[in-house]
Amino acid sequence: MLSSIGEIGLNHYLILSAALFCIGMFGVLMRKNALVILMSIELMLNAVNISFVAFSRYQNNLDGFVMVFFVMAVAAAEAAVGLALAVAIFKRFREINIRFFEHLKG
Amino acid sequence: MTEAISFYLIQFIILASALAVVLVPNPIYSAISLAVSMTGIAALFFSLEAYFIAGVQLVVYAGAVMVLFVMVVMLFDLKKEKRAFSRGTLSRVLKTTLSVLIFSMIAGALSMSFSELGSGDSIAKEDITRSIKELSALLYTKYVFAFEALAILLVMVIVGAIALAKAKGGTHAK
Repeated sequence: MLSSIGEIGLNHYLILSAALFCIGMFGVLMRKNALVILMSIELMLNAVNISFVAFSRYQNNLDGFVMVFFVMAVAAAEAAVGLALAVAIFKRFREINIRFFEHLKG
Repeated sequence: MTEAISFYLIQFIILASALAVVLVPNPIYSAISLAVSMTGIAALFFSLEAYFIAGVQLVVYAGAVMVLFVMVVMLFDLKKEKRAFSRGTLSRVLKTTLSVLIFSMIAGALSMSFSELGSGDSIAKEDITRSIKELSALLYTKYVFAFEALAILLVMVIVGAIALAKAKGGTHAK
């Protein structure tokens, strides 16, 4: 698969995308800080963007680029709402570790 | 050959800074590593000749979203958050194994499908002009309904974020 080191093909981009996605998933599972969990979700969304752009480039098709725009807009919206929620939770509990509000009881 | 060297360099930067986001205890360093990672991904888009998307990535992610994150990190008092990792050896081992396993599954599936179809290099990278004109024409014709839905979503997010920021505990207000 990676035999041709000198040539960069679609598979290199897809492997990079998979690795980045799994690092983000590892962060979501492993960290207990709500902010770092949001950052890891951004990493996962960017991994998906990489594979969209790579497929779009190698298949000569512009639809993937448009999809990347939508993913970016939704990711920005998600970050805004997630951070607003984090601020609200911090005002209520004085704590950002998800261990302390896992029951979501008001 | 220069393409390969630049690809591996960008790949190293992206993966190292992504690992730093996950592994560094202090959230402000995580945010800075995330900015480096976003910039690396923009460079990757640039090398894929997706120039406009690279610019949008820089402006939206490395600019706007990261400023939002850093602002929120500065709002919080995070002195006692140094050990905000998952606790318990069993849970840690399980989560690490799960992540590595999913990566191996995806990589294995990719390598099998590429060995079936031949290498990825055989898929020709064709030269069409990837102008912004074509992209915007596609955005405003084929995807115009998704675009309108996105506008509605953004309005909802603005209203929701303001309502959340102003809320004083909602139904459980004291």
